[in-house]
Amino acid sequence: MKKIKTRTRGWIMIIGMIAVIALIFTSCAENEKIAAKSGAQLWAENCQRCHNTPSPSAFSHEQWKTVGLHMQTRAQLTDKERDKIIAFLQQ
Amino acid sequence: MKRINKIGHCLLAIALILLSINSVKAQQTTADSALLGRIAILEQQVADQKPGESHFMVAGLTTFGFVSSKTTFTAPGSMGQITRANSLGDADHYELSPMFLFRHGDNLLVEFEPSFDGTNIGVNWANISYFAAPGLVVHAGYFVVPFGIYSKKLAAGWIDKLAGDPAGLDLPGTDFGIGFSGGFPLGDMKWSYDVSLTNGLQLLPDGELQNAGIVDNNKGKMLSGRVSLLPFSNSSLEIGVSALHSNAGDAGSNFTSANVTMYGADINFVKTFSPFLVNIKGQYNKINVTPQTYTSPVDSSLFSYNNVTSSAFAQISVRPVGSDSFLKNFELAYRYSNYTTPAGSAWGQNFHENDFGLDYWLSWRTVLKFTYAQSRSLSTTSVTAGGTPGLTNINSLYLQFSVEF
Ligand code: HEC
Repeated sequence: MKKIKTRTRGWIMIIGMIAVIALIFTSCAENEKIAAKSGAQLWAENCQRCHNTPSPSAFSHEQWKTVGLHMQTRAQLTDKERDKIIAFLQQ
Repeated sequence: MKRINKIGHCLLAIALILLSINSVKAQQTTADSALLGRIAILEQQVADQKPGESHFMVAGLTTFGFVSSKTTFTAPGSMGQITRANSLGDADHYELSPMFLFRHGDNLLVEFEPSFDGTNIGVNWANISYFAAPGLVVHAGYFVVPFGIYSKKLAAGWIDKLAGDPAGLDLPGTDFGIGFSGGFPLGDMKWSYDVSLTNGLQLLPDGELQNAGIVDNNKGKMLSGRVSLLPFSNSSLEIGVSALHSNAGDAGSNFTSANVTMYGADINFVKTFSPFLVNIKGQYNKINVTPQTYTSPVDSSLFSYNNVTSSAFAQISVRPVGSDSFLKNFELAYRYSNYTTPAGSAWGQNFHENDFGLDYWLSWRTVLKFTYAQSRSLSTTSVTAGGTPGLTNINSLYLQFSVEF
């Protein structure tokens, strides 16, 4: 019984957390200033937060797509930031 | 006669024109077929290179170097004992870790990083990420538990500005489980979350903690997470808070009721104040283990202590990126770190370290670091618990090379 209780509590916590996140997510929006940022600007602002900024020539088209997803897992970039930065790096 | 001559000339001219047209045509056909052949080869080459839906790449890093150190241990009431050591391997930091990244389409990424540390081959992480929806990445497998910024984001040798790691940030480490993360705009600002449910921590007989591993030591799981806010639209500042809860006792042991709670706060600020790029990073961790009774390894007596550990570091580095000369490749760094483990335990100490560094960046991902580290550790252990009281001072000089490949 105790086992089930602990487990149920764990799940309630997780579902609760996801619900809260979903709620905040739906109420979030970027304003015009942020939406107007170019891939180059987002690249310059975000990549240096952890390490030196790589130049577009460092990797190929396909490699940037892979690295972009990988960096999203490290930096929690928003999806728009990720897509714009990848598009810039692929040029 | 004259006429015949004229006709003859005409015919000759026509014949010559026809001949030249033909030879041009012949040349053209040869050129065409050579071109077609070349195009066919190129098409084949492109087809061979065509990326398809999957992509595989190998990245990774290696760190190696030299360390020279002088350790002075002073037991209570006696003279200091000095030991000197120098090693080309720098056993604490040597690492060669290839990282394999497999991407399937646009939504799946598998990452696997085996690592050779000079003695053993281990695995830094092995997990799969599913990019499920905007702001939702689900990952499962063996991954760095989200807590603070150092372990997951800054520990790599080519990212860290100083040769060593700040003490006491090993926990919660890497664990088996499932996690969720994402980032969202919030008006001018941005926020992010990173949470995970994993097997959790294990309380050892002396009260220290380690990762339970793939076979859990109890039924309870560990819930860990970090939430951060980037208050400025240029993403220069990030402030994060972390929390963790885990059952830690082995099932059926004296520690069945043992729980661990961790709290943390972190800050990351990176901005150019022309011509300097200024980097400020810091993290604070606190670990609480619910009160337990421990058995002395010396005389089997029972004893207890307040099992609370804290660690913190604060770091600043400056790089003249705006300079035109070779100076722009240099970076100056300083870090203070503190690690306080429980007084009265076998591993109680009050540890401080100052690190001074001068880095030379050979490329964005290749660095040569000179670091001078000076640490002081005052033991707060108890002899009954099996500890050795005394003061340990260590001065180390590192010359370290690290590259991400
Ligand atoms: C939150 C910290 C962080 C931010 C921000 C960040 N990176 Fe990284 N990056 C890392 C870490 C950590 C690694 C080392 C590999 C690892 O630990 O997985 C890395 C590795 C890399 C690599 C090596 C290949 C790979 O995929 O591991 C590239 C390329 C890279 N980053 C590019 C970028 C770009 C481009 C950006 C800007 C969009 C960026 N990074 C932003 C933390 C970060």
